[in-house]
Amino acid sequence: MRCDLSALMRGAVGIATALFLNAQASAATLLREATIGEPPPLDVMLTTADVASVIGRHIFETLYALDSTYTPRPLLAESEREEDGGKTIVIKLREGVPFHNGKEMTAKDVVASMTRWGNVGARGKLLMAAATSVEATGKYEVTLKLSAPNGAWKTLIADVNGGLAIYPEEIAANAGNKPIEQKDYIGTGPYKFVEWRPNRYVEVEKFDGYKPVKEKGDGFAGARTAIFDKIRFIPVPDVGTRVSGVQAGDYDYAEMISGDLYESLSKDPSVQVQRTNAPIFGLFFMNSKQGILKDNYKLRRAIQTALDKSQALRVAFGSKELWNAEGSIFPKGTPWYSAEGVSSYSPHDPKKAKELAKEADYTGTPIRLLVSTNYQAHYDEAAVFTRQLADAGINVQMMVVDWATLLKMRGQPEQWDIFVTHHSFSPDPLLLTFLNASYPGWWDSPEISSLRAELIKSTDPVARKATWDKIQSLIYDQVPVMKVGDAYTYDIASPKLKGLNPNGPAFWNVSTK
Amino acid sequence: MWSYSLKRAATTTVTLLAASVIIFAFIHIVPGDPIYVLLGDTATPDQIDALRHQLGLDQPIILQYLTWIGHVTEGNLGRSIFFQAPVLSVIADGAETSALLATMTMIWVTLIGVPIGMIAAVRHGTWLDQGLSGAAMLMASIPTFWVGLYLILIFAAWLGWFPSSGYPSIFEGGIVNLRYLVLPSLALAAPNAALILRLTRASMLDVSREDYVRTARAKGIRPWQVVSRHILRNALLAVVSAFGFTFAALLSEAVVTETVFALPGIGRLVVQSILRRDYPVIQGVILVIVVVYLLINLIVDLSYRLLDPRVELQ
Repeated sequence: MRCDLSALMRGAVGIATALFLNAQASAATLLREATIGEPPPLDVMLTTADVASVIGRHIFETLYALDSTYTPRPLLAESEREEDGGKTIVIKLREGVPFHNGKEMTAKDVVASMTRWGNVGARGKLLMAAATSVEATGKYEVTLKLSAPNGAWKTLIADVNGGLAIYPEEIAANAGNKPIEQKDYIGTGPYKFVEWRPNRYVEVEKFDGYKPVKEKGDGFAGARTAIFDKIRFIPVPDVGTRVSGVQAGDYDYAEMISGDLYESLSKDPSVQVQRTNAPIFGLFFMNSKQGILKDNYKLRRAIQTALDKSQALRVAFGSKELWNAEGSIFPKGTPWYSAEGVSSYSPHDPKKAKELAKEADYTGTPIRLLVSTNYQAHYDEAAVFTRQLADAGINVQMMVVDWATLLKMRGQPEQWDIFVTHHSFSPDPLLLTFLNASYPGWWDSPEISSLRAELIKSTDPVARKATWDKIQSLIYDQVPVMKVGDAYTYDIASPKLKGLNPNGPAFWNVSTK
Repeated sequence: MWSYSLKRAATTTVTLLAASVIIFAFIHIVPGDPIYVLLGDTATPDQIDALRHQLGLDQPIILQYLTWIGHVTEGNLGRSIFFQAPVLSVIADGAETSALLATMTMIWVTLIGVPIGMIAAVRHGTWLDQGLSGAAMLMASIPTFWVGLYLILIFAAWLGWFPSSGYPSIFEGGIVNLRYLVLPSLALAAPNAALILRLTRASMLDVSREDYVRTARAKGIRPWQVVSRHILRNALLAVVSAFGFTFAALLSEAVVTETVFALPGIGRLVVQSILRRDYPVIQGVILVIVVVYLLINLIVDLSYRLLDPRVELQ
């Protein structure tokens, strides 16, 4: 009987413990974010897909991070010094920062990551093309030597999007060109990778060993505190479902809501609207390598002169609060804002456009405009411009394809004359794709080559701004690309969430009210 | 029956082989490239070539096909470029959702379509028949995505009775997770129930004009027995055939509903993989869909014999 009682008590204790643990487990807080779709592999060094960056920045970290004014601040780095006129950069790392596998981050990990980024990273060549060596000059010290100084080096390594995320040495060294495997999604971030269920979710959970910086959180910079125990990034491709899901309480946050819903959602008490502080902008690239627009600056200016950008922005983005017909490549309030050349931004003068086209010996040859339907805004802008150009006697032939086809075709200069894409906000001109001579469009005139070299090697902010003014003026003169205008995307969140990041979806420091 | 089944298995194998060639050729003819999608905007030609080589996409197309089909015969459908997981496990994950969604939809379709079709046939020519036929036309005409969005708005966002979207597996959360499939299955059932309703009605009207039905009535058999034993049973032959194809179509073609309700099903998987050119997944999924279609076709043919012993299988 005594024995039975003891067994009974043990059982009771066991059940109580199980119930307690179960209660603890169910008390784990979960944040559910509805993303626009399934991400590509989360090897953030390789890809510039936003959906991969949003998830990846919770797992992987960079040496520097951008604050709310898009200024780079130390994250995994502690400090830096420049020598030899900026050609040698010595970065001191923070000590005692653990990876998710428990190993401490050291200079060897940074060197291996930097080497891989330079070889295969989406934005690696911007900095590492000029690197002569990168070495661990101490357990926590990395020395990068460049053939010429680079005034934007810190900004170039301050974001995970195609950027220098720090991986453990063995993972970075063994990965090569292939995206790293899921088992190797090991970073130093406040959340660690748990699992990826195709078309269901990607789950990350709080990393208990995370070591934050001391400074207060600001944008993507500063201290990162994981308050939610787990985050699930759930692909919800339909925008209506993302909205209803937040309204119904099935999701806590939903990305990229369409412009036509902005006004009604702004008044809806069941959601809070989170408009981005950094605009994206549509771009129409001219083919500088081949075809009717190659070196034909007069015809390009004719095209630019015919257009009314406001009309395209209104059609593409709806509410006036979500777009701004701004000719400066960088928005007002940023250090790079410039008024150079903007009088040519959106003249909407079909008569003058006709005259310019005539001067360019244009005889009505179809201009092939490559556009994708995957991004509705691209298609809307292209459709409006095609109509406006027809009024000016310029014959545009739209070639509508899906995004995967466009990505391939735009690399073949014989296939197109203009292609449509968009650009996310850039904290430095050197990150602008159209300044990259190997990017489709291939703008590499002698004038831009010289100004680009000047911008890269200059380290003085005032001199760099003066160079940028000249480049913007040249953009309106040679028209390698046409900016459509600034568009402010917005997300929605449960009204219960507080501490949302103004730079974009990042859920450290986010809690419930 | 057995010799018939064997014969069908042989023709099925030939069909599968032909389908594999067509699937492989078709997806590789379509322009676009997974490497560009994977590496994104700023990839250089060197990076693109290097990754293409590593994934074996630079090999001659025939060699790529032979490698793939060789693996398929060993039960290996390859590895997803984007999910970094075996295609078979990716399909299995999606198949659970699609199979349950299709089954639940078919339950609604049967519960709504067959009885109402019967009523319409029995009350042929009356205002009730006209009303039911009109309602069926209306249900068949309304787009599924529209029905889906309104079901979400009313039953999830306003009333909060059902979840708005997603589907956590029943193996993780238990049978209660089937509530996630109630609204999508209703959205899918609307047009399909209308189809079955009209088919049941038309078949029953055809059969009711047969001599043996007239004889049964003349013998004084009760009207409901004439309907249930003599008319409905024979009319079901055509309906069962439609059931088979509807079920197969629901497994693979529910892409709009799966997108609206963010369901991790097969239809969405295949469309997403086509958009990203995830070749191994596209090839694997379509091959599995072909197999499912062939199997369902076989089951439907075999079921004719069970429903009507006069049918001979040759």
